[in-house]
Amino acid sequence: MVQLKMNMRKKTGKRSYTGICIILVAAIVLEAITCIQYVYSRKSIREEAEQRAKSELRRAELEINVVTAQMESAVKVLAMLAERYVDTPDSMFAATRALVGCLDNVNSAGIAFQPDYFPQYGHWFEVCSSREIVDGKLEIYTRQIGGANHDYFQTEWFHNGMTIDSCKWSEPYFDDSGARQMVVSCSYPIRNADGEIVAVALVDLSLEYLKDISEYLQVYADSYFSITSGSGLDIVPSPDTVAGRKYHFFDEEIDATGWHISIIIPDEVIYEDLKRIGLIVLALMLIGLGLLVFIVYRAGRDMVRLVKSTAQNERMESELHIARTVQMSMLPKFQNENKKNPILPCDMYGMVIPAKEVGGDLYDFYVKEDRLFFCIGDVSGKGVPSSFVMATTRSLFRAISAHEQDVATIAGLMNDAMADMNDQNMFVTFFLGMLNLKTGMLNYCNAGHNAPVLVKHLSTCDMLPTIPNLPLGILSGFSYTPQTATLHNGDMLFLYTDGLSEAENQDEALYGEDRTLEEIARIKKAVDEDKWTAKYLVDAMLESVTQFVDGAEQSDDLTMLAIHYLQSSDHAIAGNEAVRHSIVMRNDIQQIPTLAEWIESLNVPSALNMTINLALEEAVTNVMLYAYPQDKNGQVLIEAEKTDTQITFIISDSGIPFDPTKQPPVNTALGLEERSIGGLGIHLVRQIMDQIQYRREDNKNILTLIKKI
Amino acid sequence: MTTEIKTNDTQWVAVFKGRLDTAAAVQTSEDVKPLLEVVNREIILDCTELDYISSSGLRIFLAIRKEAAEHGCKVIVRNLTADVRQVFIMTGFVSLFEIQ
Repeated sequence: MVQLKMNMRKKTGKRSYTGICIILVAAIVLEAITCIQYVYSRKSIREEAEQRAKSELRRAELEINVVTAQMESAVKVLAMLAERYVDTPDSMFAATRALVGCLDNVNSAGIAFQPDYFPQYGHWFEVCSSREIVDGKLEIYTRQIGGANHDYFQTEWFHNGMTIDSCKWSEPYFDDSGARQMVVSCSYPIRNADGEIVAVALVDLSLEYLKDISEYLQVYADSYFSITSGSGLDIVPSPDTVAGRKYHFFDEEIDATGWHISIIIPDEVIYEDLKRIGLIVLALMLIGLGLLVFIVYRAGRDMVRLVKSTAQNERMESELHIARTVQMSMLPKFQNENKKNPILPCDMYGMVIPAKEVGGDLYDFYVKEDRLFFCIGDVSGKGVPSSFVMATTRSLFRAISAHEQDVATIAGLMNDAMADMNDQNMFVTFFLGMLNLKTGMLNYCNAGHNAPVLVKHLSTCDMLPTIPNLPLGILSGFSYTPQTATLHNGDMLFLYTDGLSEAENQDEALYGEDRTLEEIARIKKAVDEDKWTAKYLVDAMLESVTQFVDGAEQSDDLTMLAIHYLQSSDHAIAGNEAVRHSIVMRNDIQQIPTLAEWIESLNVPSALNMTINLALEEAVTNVMLYAYPQDKNGQVLIEAEKTDTQITFIISDSGIPFDPTKQPPVNTALGLEERSIGGLGIHLVRQIMDQIQYRREDNKNILTLIKKI
Repeated sequence: MTTEIKTNDTQWVAVFKGRLDTAAAVQTSEDVKPLLEVVNREIILDCTELDYISSSGLRIFLAIRKEAAEHGCKVIVRNLTADVRQVFIMTGFVSLFEIQ
């Protein structure tokens, strides 16, 4: 038991170790899958974001190029117009006005001359047309704006226009006199007839306008767009919210203007979905691991339970097997291990087939003073609990019937004893009989058991009339009613339990009492009289019921006992003064103990009991040791004839001639060294018996021993 | 029939219980074998619960007695029942053993 528990503990330890391993491996595998999936997803999401950003950048570049190219065309047109009328300052007003008027996206345009070009207009001359909202109406205003407070000679765009012979965009600046907002200007030189640069044409592009364009260039809802000039000044600035956040930055240079356009996408925006999916995956993984832990724990626990219950089952089975052996050994045997038949008081045979390993059915019998006490019983229920009650019942039967002759008294005493200790409310249906082997007188008492079948030698078979009474163990103090019947030579009494009458076949039909009677009648009719034995009937009935159930599971213990009453010739001589008894023993010294029982039954004076037993044992042992070679089959017949004054034993056997009376006497006065180890047996026979005679007759050794009483 | 062999520093004790008849003698002669090897000790054959003995049993007692004599052991038969004592008397065994 301790060892078993140790094993359990080891297995439990092993189980949790295995369980932890499984969970760890699963966790590592899941984690690895998640990591790989995360890394690759992140990579592909980043690549996708880059792709999107680049394509958006190209679109933005195109949009801005369209705008700047229009501006550049416009400034060139303006310069061309100015060159044509370079000497008529008034035409400059018309030219700028016309340009602003016909190009929607030009906010303002201007022409600025070098100092003192038109002396009549003074040192400064710059004509500017711009759209302005006055009293809620968009109007184009054209005016000369050059002056001391607008000294345009110092501006970048003027310097660009005067020195660079192509379109040139300025850095963003605040146009204080024309557009009055942040602008970038595109300048282009204007030449006179001599080809000298005398003025600069310019077109302003509002940064607000560029910002508006960039509004719909957003890649993500929360991404930003910015444009910076070649020298790094913001044209369209990124919002302040970008600061302090991790972001991806994609940028592209616009060739024509030297500007940089960039898309700024915060990491959290790019990876927002990934983060959400990651959280879902993590949650699923945790749930999965939790489930795994649960399953491993449950499986482990089930396994421990299985191991435990298997071990318990095995132990129970082996103990049940032992219990069955013990139980079967309680029942009288009709066949021993050597398949030789033991001595029976008459022709009888019985068997128990338990439905489970141990059963609650019993039968028993023994002979006391020419009376055969026999019983059959069925304990309520099956299995181990019934088997205990069965063992108790059998012991009570033996103990009580040893002192009582009356079957009703025996049943009553057994009932009282069983009812007193019956906490489990178990009971026994019991049939108890006492058959006088000399006269065939049967006293019986039925305690709620099936009525036995009486198979008459010369007529039909029928149920033995029985008063049901109460089963044993139900009601203490119940008074049982005895009954009597007479068996005649050749009659057979067949006892059985409900394992026979209530045997079920596959269709749940019962074997039944009627079928029992019919089958017995059929069996008897079909057999020769000399083969009609108790064993034959029981075996044939077993075959019959086996055929009937046809493989259906046996639901109850099945017990059968048959008693074939054959009036012996000894018994037939009624009224003879001498009482004769006999016993047949096989050539096996293990049979010796039965002598003691037989001598008990002879009712010799108790003072002589031991010595007679001793003398007979020595005489029989001599036959077995000397008349029969070892292990040879053979029998020893012992007959006893008792009168008032003496008892005569005749021991006969068919062995080789052996005369024990020829053995030399033993000198019991000799000392230890001289004493022989043999010869004591016949010495004892001589000491005990009053007469010893040996004769050889019909190839038999016949030894007659007489003891006076 | 059971035979129980006990030993201490000075004694070997065989306790016989039941009926030592011819059938039982087979097993009993196996059971007492250790006694045949004993040297220079006191051997006690306790017969308090020995109900019956036949010549086969007496032979076992005699064998123990003879071996004991050769091995310098003293054999004491203790508490004979009336029946067994009767057999010892009939066979002269009373004079072969020290009986207590």
